[in-house]
Amino acid sequence: MSAPFAGSLLVGQTGDPLLFSVDAVAVGIVILKVLVIFALLLVATMFMVWFERKLISDMQNRIGPNLAGPFGILQTLADGIKFFFKEDVIPDKSQRKVFILAPYLAFVPAFLLFAVVPFGGDFNGGNDGMVTIFGRDTYLQLADPPIGVLFILAMSSLAVYGAMLAGWSSGSKYPLLGSVRASAQMVSYEAALGLSAAAVVLVTGTLSTHSMVTSQAGDGPWGVLPNWGILLTLGVPFVIFVIAGTAELNRPPFDLVEAEQELVGGFHTEYSSIRFALFFLAEFMNTITMSAIFVTLFLGGPSGPAFFGPGWMWGVIWFLAKVFIFLFMFVWFRATLPRMRYDQLMDLGWKVLIPLALGWFLVLASLEVADARQWNRWVVGAIAAVVLVGGAALLRKSVRSGAALRAEEVLD
Amino acid sequence: METTAVEYVVFALCAVIVLAGAFGVIWFRNPVQAALSLVATLFGVAVLFLNMNAQFLAAVQVIVYTGAIVVLILFVIMLLGVDVEEDLEEEPLVGQRVIALVIAAGVAGLVVAGVTLGGADLVSGARSVTGSIVDDVSNIEQIGRLLFTEYVFALEITAVLLTIAVIAAVVMSRRPSEVEPLPAENASMEPPEPMEPEAEEVFD
Amino acid sequence: MNILAAVGVDNPPLDWHALAPELVLVGLLAVLLLVDAFGGERSRWAMPSLTGIGLLAALIPVATLAYDGVVRSMFDGAYVVDNYALLFKALFLIAGYVVVLLSTNYIAEGDYWEGEYYQLLVASLLGMTVMASARDLISVFLALELLSIPAYMLAAWRKRDLGSEEAGMKYYLMGVFASAILLYGMSLLYGMTGSTLLVDIAGAIEGTEVPALVALAVVLVVVGFAFKVSAVPFHTWAPDTYQGAPTPVTAFLAVGSKAAGFVALMTVVLIAFPTQPRIFEPLIWALAAVTMIVGNLIALRQTNLVRMLAYSGVAQAGYILAPLAVAGVSGASAAMAVEAVSTYLVIYAAMNLGAFAVVIAVARKTGSAEIDSYGGLFSYSPVLAVCMSVFLFSLAGIPPLAGWYGKLTIFLALIEPGTLAGYILAVIVGLASVIALFYYARVAKVMFVDPAPDGDTTPIRVPMSLAAALTITVAVTLVVGVLPQVLARVTGAETFLSIGG
Repeated sequence: MSAPFAGSLLVGQTGDPLLFSVDAVAVGIVILKVLVIFALLLVATMFMVWFERKLISDMQNRIGPNLAGPFGILQTLADGIKFFFKEDVIPDKSQRKVFILAPYLAFVPAFLLFAVVPFGGDFNGGNDGMVTIFGRDTYLQLADPPIGVLFILAMSSLAVYGAMLAGWSSGSKYPLLGSVRASAQMVSYEAALGLSAAAVVLVTGTLSTHSMVTSQAGDGPWGVLPNWGILLTLGVPFVIFVIAGTAELNRPPFDLVEAEQELVGGFHTEYSSIRFALFFLAEFMNTITMSAIFVTLFLGGPSGPAFFGPGWMWGVIWFLAKVFIFLFMFVWFRATLPRMRYDQLMDLGWKVLIPLALGWFLVLASLEVADARQWNRWVVGAIAAVVLVGGAALLRKSVRSGAALRAEEVLD
Repeated sequence: METTAVEYVVFALCAVIVLAGAFGVIWFRNPVQAALSLVATLFGVAVLFLNMNAQFLAAVQVIVYTGAIVVLILFVIMLLGVDVEEDLEEEPLVGQRVIALVIAAGVAGLVVAGVTLGGADLVSGARSVTGSIVDDVSNIEQIGRLLFTEYVFALEITAVLLTIAVIAAVVMSRRPSEVEPLPAENASMEPPEPMEPEAEEVFD
Repeated sequence: MNILAAVGVDNPPLDWHALAPELVLVGLLAVLLLVDAFGGERSRWAMPSLTGIGLLAALIPVATLAYDGVVRSMFDGAYVVDNYALLFKALFLIAGYVVVLLSTNYIAEGDYWEGEYYQLLVASLLGMTVMASARDLISVFLALELLSIPAYMLAAWRKRDLGSEEAGMKYYLMGVFASAILLYGMSLLYGMTGSTLLVDIAGAIEGTEVPALVALAVVLVVVGFAFKVSAVPFHTWAPDTYQGAPTPVTAFLAVGSKAAGFVALMTVVLIAFPTQPRIFEPLIWALAAVTMIVGNLIALRQTNLVRMLAYSGVAQAGYILAPLAVAGVSGASAAMAVEAVSTYLVIYAAMNLGAFAVVIAVARKTGSAEIDSYGGLFSYSPVLAVCMSVFLFSLAGIPPLAGWYGKLTIFLALIEPGTLAGYILAVIVGLASVIALFYYARVAKVMFVDPAPDGDTTPIRVPMSLAAALTITVAVTLVVGVLPQVLARVTGAETFLSIGG
């Protein structure tokens, strides 16, 4: 994947300055970054597995893993070793090649996604997060393609293939049902995800993740608040994005894909040994990546005040701290929210989130137009809000009259 | 813009992937495998777009085609349970394979003849890039500008088209709950008798 | 950073007057959607009236534009409103209105979804009116899809009927196949010329060094449209679709869709390919000749009137194609061809819609479209029998009915360039017309001479709307036949395509 991006970046003089001229040092730095990100993500995933188990135990008044290492922190490692030595079963009725391929398909998008996430650098006082490694200026992110946000959407839309093909290739019915659910759910929430991400693109005026962080690093509303996407978009797209992102991850309360009571284990019922571990890891890795994307789009990424020492280090610290908030949130969701019913899931996606995301996008767009034409922001905003409410009322009425019509006909 | 060695290598790789995928679509007897080959083709095309510096198109290609359309194709295949290998031994129309072969060979011959006789500027694609990418303006801006000026009417018509297609799809998937025995031949000419509105099935 | 300020988009110049017919249709579509969404069953009755009023309202701007007489061109010439476009917009809108008249009772009395029916009909008509003005590949293709996709669905509107489902399915598959072929040709054209504007394409492929690829593109485009106008050998969907679809829809497909296909074919061929007569002339010549002969010969053997009309429609497509086969000889022959095609399309619309109106009226009583079931029609419903004879003999081209004048313009256009190909084609048109007379006359004989098959001679009650449709179509068929200069004033005043918008 990296070759075409490098090729395309050579031409336009935007993006990471490291790639303006490619030589051995630059290639070395890129490889170093790849290794660091790979290692960091794996370690973070191990941490996340432990963290989730431990936190849920706390919330449920249990002890949780406590034997392997201090506080049971090596539990994931122990599990991994155990999985590795289990028997690897490939069912007779499975589509063998696809069955083997599927776990990797689930795994790869999670890695690729992280390539465009800025995870450090000093963004204070007009700095744009540049760091110098081996005498070369570069950003603390693997790649900064001019279509960063679209790349994120593209990769998250590819994530569905892992679950889908795993279920289909298993050649048994519960996995198939799980994968059919997965594809319907992920395609449905893709639209809301994209529309709410588009709201951030609209207010920051860029698709590049790095420029997005840079533009969020400045002073925000009234000079006090940070200039974060969550404030610029007035909050609603953030909520939509978090809900849709949770659904994309198939995490509770949207984990219908692997609803144990209905589908045994969902799409990975037939998987065992290291292949199962891959799915397991992919799920947690996706959680971390999605949190990083929340942070990049809405919470200013690694930007934040630096106190002492090198500025880039504070960027990394802020980034990790912000990501941690969302990791905690995901665990919290899991511990407290009951699973949704399938029709509730679809209703929420199609009848609430997508119209709301679209309507809010239009409101933000009308505010942009008001700024460009130097109209009064408040008047335009008020009119847009009224139109939004009116549209919502119309939608509600038509949904209701449709439901009433059906109910009436059922009674006949 | 000069073509670099990297671009040649990427092009060659993608060309192989695209063609192999396209071949796979018609070669595999299992619809799911055919759909997966289609993914390979579409992905290869996306990378080719990147190679030509059209990042926006590449991303949209992946999001729309691989991420949505093929997923829906697979969804329908799995939902209907038609993911079984087809029996290709039987010919519904006698001689259709021979005719298909002849026509395919003819079209392929015409295309090859067109390309080989077309001269250098055709093969290099020099003509087709007349309205192409300006390097220092982002893809999205250029596409947006074209869409909302020169092609704004086409864009709006597309909106109507999509709306009406959704209505058509909804009508197609709605069905009356009482499925009557199918009427006899030429029944389409029967004067439809006035009826009460039928109850519909509730899917939920 | 403000995006709008940074980009600085100039609004494209829009001529609202020129877009008015389409805007009225879009507005009508929106009104129908809203009324249907909130009115539910209570608003069913209003649908056909609303649609009819809306279609007539869309005619008003067409009339004012025609009165104005200025050629309006937008988007660098991608969308042109001239006399040619206006003539066809008017034709489509009036034909659409007649189809609404035909549908009113048929759809209301059957177990159909009524709101959606008219919405799809209006959307399809919108596609047709756009097609009349489209002068670049993207607009042409979008218009084609917009008029086809609702039509696929309309053909399958009788959802409990296997025949109707088959009709929709066949139409859809063949239509999509044709679109793919067309699109392949269009993409080759764009790849070679770097432009989607038909005028630019004509300039770019003039004297081109790549005849093989141009030939391939032209062939693919013409074949794509040949599917839409059901020319032999791409006609196989037509009979099954026409027979299976609800009859008003069949009338709509046979007239509206087909005319729009011809408009597209004529626009693309005469604007984009005028410099390539070596390629398109033999192709269209062969298509026209085969279509006329095969269509008429198969029509002879039909026992079902709708199926017979379907094959007769195929044959008529051959007549309409014929003038285009000699259109590339000179500017004058192109002008003659356009006049002949426009004239014939208008007349064909009137007489074919009329024939279907009678079929619908008779089927209300007999419930059948078999030719035998028309026995004794004259004895119990003389008016219907006479109307049907008028339409059938007009289709056959007997003076003083309108079809006669249509055939005459085609003959004139074929003879005008003075080429051997033109003369031979004219002879084929003549022979085909003679064959056609047999099967048209056979229906007339059954109606006037044969007894009613079951002895039931209660007269047919024709509802108001059907009667109105019959009146309009009979009037046009008779008036144009007796006073052809009325139509000639409209179709003859066109010099539009030589300048290419």
